[in-house]
Amino acid sequence: MSKSFKVRILRQADPNSGSHWETFNVDYEDGMNMTTVFQRIAADPVTTEKQPTVPVAFDSCCLEEVCGACTMVINGRVRQACSALVDALLEESPDAIEVRPMTKFPVVRDLVVDRHAMFESLKCVKAWVHVDGYYDLGAGPRLAPQVQEEAYPLSRCMTCGCCVEACPQFSDKTGFIGPAAISQAILFNLHPTGRVERDDRLGVLTGPGGIADCGNSQNCVKVCPKEIPLTDSIAKAGRDTTLYKLRQWFGR
Amino acid sequence: MEAQSQSPGLDAKYYFLIRRLHSLCGLIPVGVFLCFHLVANSAILWPGQPGAEFQKAIDRLHGALGPMLVPVEIVGIFIPLFFHAILGVKIWLSSSPNASSYTHGPNIRFTLQRITGVFAFVFILYHVWHMHWFGKPLGAGHFELHTKAGEPAAAVTTATAIQAAWWIAPIYFLGVVASVFHLANGIWTMLITWGITIRPASQRVSGYVCAVFGVVLALVGIGALSGFRTFNVDATASSGHGVTAATHAP
Repeated sequence: MSKSFKVRILRQADPNSGSHWETFNVDYEDGMNMTTVFQRIAADPVTTEKQPTVPVAFDSCCLEEVCGACTMVINGRVRQACSALVDALLEESPDAIEVRPMTKFPVVRDLVVDRHAMFESLKCVKAWVHVDGYYDLGAGPRLAPQVQEEAYPLSRCMTCGCCVEACPQFSDKTGFIGPAAISQAILFNLHPTGRVERDDRLGVLTGPGGIADCGNSQNCVKVCPKEIPLTDSIAKAGRDTTLYKLRQWFGR
Repeated sequence: MEAQSQSPGLDAKYYFLIRRLHSLCGLIPVGVFLCFHLVANSAILWPGQPGAEFQKAIDRLHGALGPMLVPVEIVGIFIPLFFHAILGVKIWLSSSPNASSYTHGPNIRFTLQRITGVFAFVFILYHVWHMHWFGKPLGAGHFELHTKAGEPAAAVTTATAIQAAWWIAPIYFLGVVASVFHLANGIWTMLITWGITIRPASQRVSGYVCAVFGVVLALVGIGALSGFRTFNVDATASSGHGVTAATHAP
């Protein structure tokens, strides 16, 4: 029963140092996920070359694919470590499971990355509803069930970064805000109170890094762990920005 | 990661307009021209006197434009084409295609769209050069609508240029396929970009429609190419002028 498997991990001590691969042998357990694998490595951090090393640094929080903290590139595909099961990963790649940090964000250490850019994109599109005031504004307007049904899937976004990691258009060269932020702009434009800032959001989407940077590779919707209809949001943003520009140029 | 530039330059201010113009230019006029061009060329396949229908098709097109032909070609084809190509290459250079990691249809087509775009552009430059100047130094003939004597020469000169070397037809084949793929896939993405097809189901349907359009247009183009490839130039070349004989061929 002492079945074991190999895990190759791209490691990096700090943001400024170079990266290198380390391979570990891990004893197989039933129903293992990648976070368990990192815990087993931490318990005995010795590489296959018998070199003692330090535990692998990685982010994690909820351990049930809700927070998005443990997002990383496993076997060449971006996903959450907590919901990545070893059985399935070994089927994809029987020799060794390959793990690396996300490539679109600066590495802090090992598999920990700085996803600040995601938050900046959300700020750009004003991904919120303004409710602050000096007095009680009372109850907000009701959302029709149809709007709720449209909005709920979009609200599942956990800003994990899978969509932008897989997006061939997202890089510091383009400044593209990415599918998650576009989808959030659509979500808050759906809200009766959020709609007040609709044109601000559409204005940002028509600027550099906005909707025009999408190349329709549709990787975002393919990799989204929350199954958010990101390409629907993107196409809707395409339609809304077209109409917004027509309104802007020719009047309402 | 700034979506809003602090001091918007001209390219930032008109970012959306420029990118939508880029999208539009691919279809109108460049894509529409490609359709007309391939369909007119396929007239070479029409039965009857070899090349006569092709000559008629080209005469009709050129006759309709008259002295406006060159200005229309420049404003209607070359300027939009260069704008579309140069901005397209710029867009490609800023992207990082990853079709080897994420192997699903739209992502593979994303990469193919960029490869075919560059290939088609280089091919079109070669094609224009080949049809207008290539033949002169090598004596292999180049596209002429009529001989100096006013005889129809469109079919025989085109066929001579295509048949001048064995590798010309394969390059034209690849050029036609790349251009048509780029147009058909471009129409599919354009429908999303402009917000016409939103739901996956509608994008699937438009995908089938674009695929059928692409296959048909590619067959038209390849048919035209094979028509010129197999056109009997020698039968018309004996009189020294070639074209005279072409008009009298059985």
